[in-house]
Amino acid sequence: MPALSKPFLHWMVLPTLLVLLAIIGYPVVSTVYLSFFGYNLLDFTPPEYLGLGNFKDMANDRIFWISLKNTLYYTGGTVLVSMLIGTAVALLLENLKGPVWSCVRALVVSPWAVPFVVVAFLFRFMYMQNGGIVNDILLDLGVIASPVSWLNRADISLGAIIVANIWATIPFFFLLVSSALSGIPDAVLESARVDRAGLWSTIFHIKLPFLRNPLVVGSLLMVISNFNDFAKVWVMTQGGPGYATTTLVVYVYRVAFERFEIGYASALGLIWLLLLLLVSVFYIRLLWNRQND
Amino acid sequence: MTDRSHHARGNSNATRRILGKAFQYVFIAIALFWTIAPIYWMLSTSLKTELEATRLDPSLVPENVTLDNYVRLFQGDLPFVSFFVNSVITCFLAAIVSVVIAVPAAYALSRRNFRTAEQTGYLVLVVRMFPMIVLLAPLYLVLMNTGLLDTMFGLILGYTTFGLPFAVWMLKGFIDAVPVEIEEAARVDGYPQWEILLKIIVPLIYPGVVTTGIFVLMEAWNNLIYPLTFITSIEKQSLPAALVLTFTGQFKTDWGGMMAASAITTLPLMIAFFAVQRSMVRGLTAGSVTGT
Repeated sequence: MPALSKPFLHWMVLPTLLVLLAIIGYPVVSTVYLSFFGYNLLDFTPPEYLGLGNFKDMANDRIFWISLKNTLYYTGGTVLVSMLIGTAVALLLENLKGPVWSCVRALVVSPWAVPFVVVAFLFRFMYMQNGGIVNDILLDLGVIASPVSWLNRADISLGAIIVANIWATIPFFFLLVSSALSGIPDAVLESARVDRAGLWSTIFHIKLPFLRNPLVVGSLLMVISNFNDFAKVWVMTQGGPGYATTTLVVYVYRVAFERFEIGYASALGLIWLLLLLLVSVFYIRLLWNRQND
Repeated sequence: MTDRSHHARGNSNATRRILGKAFQYVFIAIALFWTIAPIYWMLSTSLKTELEATRLDPSLVPENVTLDNYVRLFQGDLPFVSFFVNSVITCFLAAIVSVVIAVPAAYALSRRNFRTAEQTGYLVLVVRMFPMIVLLAPLYLVLMNTGLLDTMFGLILGYTTFGLPFAVWMLKGFIDAVPVEIEEAARVDGYPQWEILLKIIVPLIYPGVVTTGIFVLMEAWNNLIYPLTFITSIEKQSLPAALVLTFTGQFKTDWGGMMAASAITTLPLMIAFFAVQRSMVRGLTAGSVTGT
């Protein structure tokens, strides 16, 4: 079909485009608009134009910078560690066949089906200072001398939440890598065997290159999903103690729905949108470079 | 090389293999413990009595197994059944609405039968990467001004903001895998495009459609921030949000009841998840790996 005989748009994409316009396009435009205004829902006064005021406030907003740092730690820590462990476990289970090992695989994957809110409550329960199972076991093993208040100490609470989050994220990478490994052509593995390539060189020189693209795409999906993750932090610590575990989502939620400062919340959201688009562009370029090789 | 050294090397190779196997199994055992322990702890706590569940020296196995925590959920003051039904209805409808709107769009994007197909594809991809919190405040205002705050419809709209772009992109991946040649005969016979889509493509990618729907459903079920902000009366609340809101009340120290509620919240997701587990990762990443 010659290109020009094709219609500009097709009616089949219209419903999607219209719905996206209404529920995403309009809100995004109004976020941009509102970010230039001071608008508090509790004041019952119309929005007041501030120019770049919100953004100047943001630069001096200590909590904004703390929550940005926490978000980066939370996302980066979770994705990196989950990816490493998920890949390792997938490699360990790769050649084990049979019903027993299928069962083991299903169990390893199961945390993915646990709702975020449940993950959060479960770990909050296990982290309890008095009567929590984590302290109980660590005390019995002699790792710690006295019960630790995991979620109430500013120095370790973010780490404790990240551990819970890693528990919930590993299955994704495990499944991803497992399915990528099964997609490696037998001929490639066979030639490695003929060349008497060792275990490690087979993994590093033959398997990992095949895993690169799936891992790039998978980690992008998880970076986005962890940037947006509200449930775990909110249920476990509500961002505390102090601001030790306040991520950007939690901060925006507090600004918008506890202080009702919609204007400032919009400005925060806008910065965040730009940040995430930057990450996405970086990832897409990474993929493209690979494809053009 | 002498006979002896040959023998010794064979021996050390065998030892290394056995050691390697041992390491492999030990690490798998650790991974299994790490995965199962929290889930075991949730289930075993939910079967303990109220007193035993919050004991300072926790028992690894429930001493008096009881279903009391589950019974209390359904007989207590809280409309636990309503929470459950609310979540099921809103998440199911969000999944169905997303998929129904997305199927034709995914088909058109996959077959590139219009000039701006590439640009539209990128647009959907970018939207899919949107941080949902950006939409929170303006969407709240929209719902407030249209009287949709505190309604199931408003919540479904909220879920659709991430469900629809996800569904389009995932379904496109599944349709990409269907060769165009399959449609040729029907096209030559003059069948309209929507009929080709409904009678040839959809039956072929049916498992992909179900997977996509369940993925949207899981995302919606996991979502906490939209129900927490868009729903204001407790009896209309979703299950996860209700758990969070009531924990300060009824469940405050009742960890047995809390874990029973958690188990019930997990069950539908477990079932849905294991039904589609295999095609899930393929659908999630296929579209992105092959580019547009």
